[in-house]
Amino acid sequence: MKGKVLKLLRQNDSAFLSGEKISNELNCSRTAVWKHIKALRDEGYDIIAVQNKGYQLTKSAYLLSEHDIYSRIKKNDLFENVVYHNSVTSTQTVAQQLANEGVSEGTVVVADEQTGGKGRLGRVWDSEKGSGVWMSLVLKPQIDFRKAPQLTLLTAVAVTRAIESVSGLPLSIKWPNDLLVNGKKLCGILTEMQADPDRVQSVIIGIGLNVNHGAFPEDLSEIATSMNIEAGKPFNRAEVIAAILNEFSWLYRTYLSQGFSLIKPLWEAHAVSIGKKIVARSTAGTTEGYALGIDGEGVLLLQDNQGETHRIYSADIELK
Amino acid sequence: MMKIQEIRELIKLIDESSIDEFKFEQNGSKVTMKKYSEQPLSQNVSLAEPVKPIPSEVPQAESPVKQEAVEKPAASEPAAKNDEKTAEPDENLHTITSPMVGTFYEAPSPDSSAYVKKGDKVNQESVVCIVEAMKLMNEIESEVNGEIVDILVENGQLVEYGQELFLVKPE
Repeated sequence: MKGKVLKLLRQNDSAFLSGEKISNELNCSRTAVWKHIKALRDEGYDIIAVQNKGYQLTKSAYLLSEHDIYSRIKKNDLFENVVYHNSVTSTQTVAQQLANEGVSEGTVVVADEQTGGKGRLGRVWDSEKGSGVWMSLVLKPQIDFRKAPQLTLLTAVAVTRAIESVSGLPLSIKWPNDLLVNGKKLCGILTEMQADPDRVQSVIIGIGLNVNHGAFPEDLSEIATSMNIEAGKPFNRAEVIAAILNEFSWLYRTYLSQGFSLIKPLWEAHAVSIGKKIVARSTAGTTEGYALGIDGEGVLLLQDNQGETHRIYSADIELK
Repeated sequence: MMKIQEIRELIKLIDESSIDEFKFEQNGSKVTMKKYSEQPLSQNVSLAEPVKPIPSEVPQAESPVKQEAVEKPAASEPAAKNDEKTAEPDENLHTITSPMVGTFYEAPSPDSSAYVKKGDKVNQESVVCIVEAMKLMNEIESEVNGEIVDILVENGQLVEYGQELFLVKPE
């Protein structure tokens, strides 16, 4: 309900909104409206009340809350169930538990802080309080699970488009789904799947996006960056989250109905590695050559110095 | 007469296409290729495996040998047919196979211990390993109750679709 009040105030951005109107709109008493306004103020929202005029939201603080996110989610988005935590070990772990408990597709777990943010293969993802978007999407797609890796490319496209629309920053994608600005990592995506041999049970997509970090520790500053550092101003994280969920929703629905064919050109349009010399490193060995692009399944095509084309399913990519 | 290299190219092209069957005739040489239709994704043939030299010029009507060469990489046998391949005399062993192409990881992280080792008891829902492709981590479950009697792949190895990963003695 707090979220709905906030949504109305935000829609009414520049003007006052009367308590009566809010109470009619939300079908609750004016006393209830006043209580919600008070609660929002306690959370840091600057809401002015003027007699005979009503309420006005003057500025959106850079806070993150469940109802703030909720108030920005567009109608008909896939994600209607927002699970918010101030602090968790990892949104990925929470989302997995929820998926096991049978939560529906379209649930998103968001946290203001992760104390044990997960990267790939047990790597730590630095996710300090108040600075980033740490979230995990719960999906239950009815697809052949051998196609499920395509969802990681789809997510890269969704986040890229969302960040570009919110900030105007030029993003590039490094195969398969690292998002870079000026060669530094802005966002990482980790996807975990649970599947039976014949069907996907759940796919949990974790997104770690650096938003309002002012600076990074020395050992990270060469390789990591944030939207704030690149754009020179902070961003409202709820707005970023809503934009990502909105982009993801339509891309995902398009993918389910039409397959990977639309996602591929969108991914390629942002791909930094195509046509460049790259090194693909994996535990199985190192391959060097030119990145030709991706195939219809999202597999990276790499042409080595002998002219032979390799299909890369799994590797860390380094641009030469 | 076609060169081996040309046949290789052909195999590759056809494999990446949606063509199920392909016939080619020239100066009395015949090449016939067929794909298994129940293998809709052609992932497995991807890795530029050395294709055995095949006497393609043998002017026989149909050449089953060639077919085999094409299908071989894709035809990783389902678990049920493994008896003859495994050295184990116990034909009741359950084989856990890889559901996708990717990297095999025995543990959730390089620092942690393996999900399972030889002799471990597992139940249907025990996670036995991860197969990763394009940063999607797929937890593979045992699917049977039993004991791990053999691990057939190395940590970090690239595995094919249908490749055998573990042997489990069901209980």
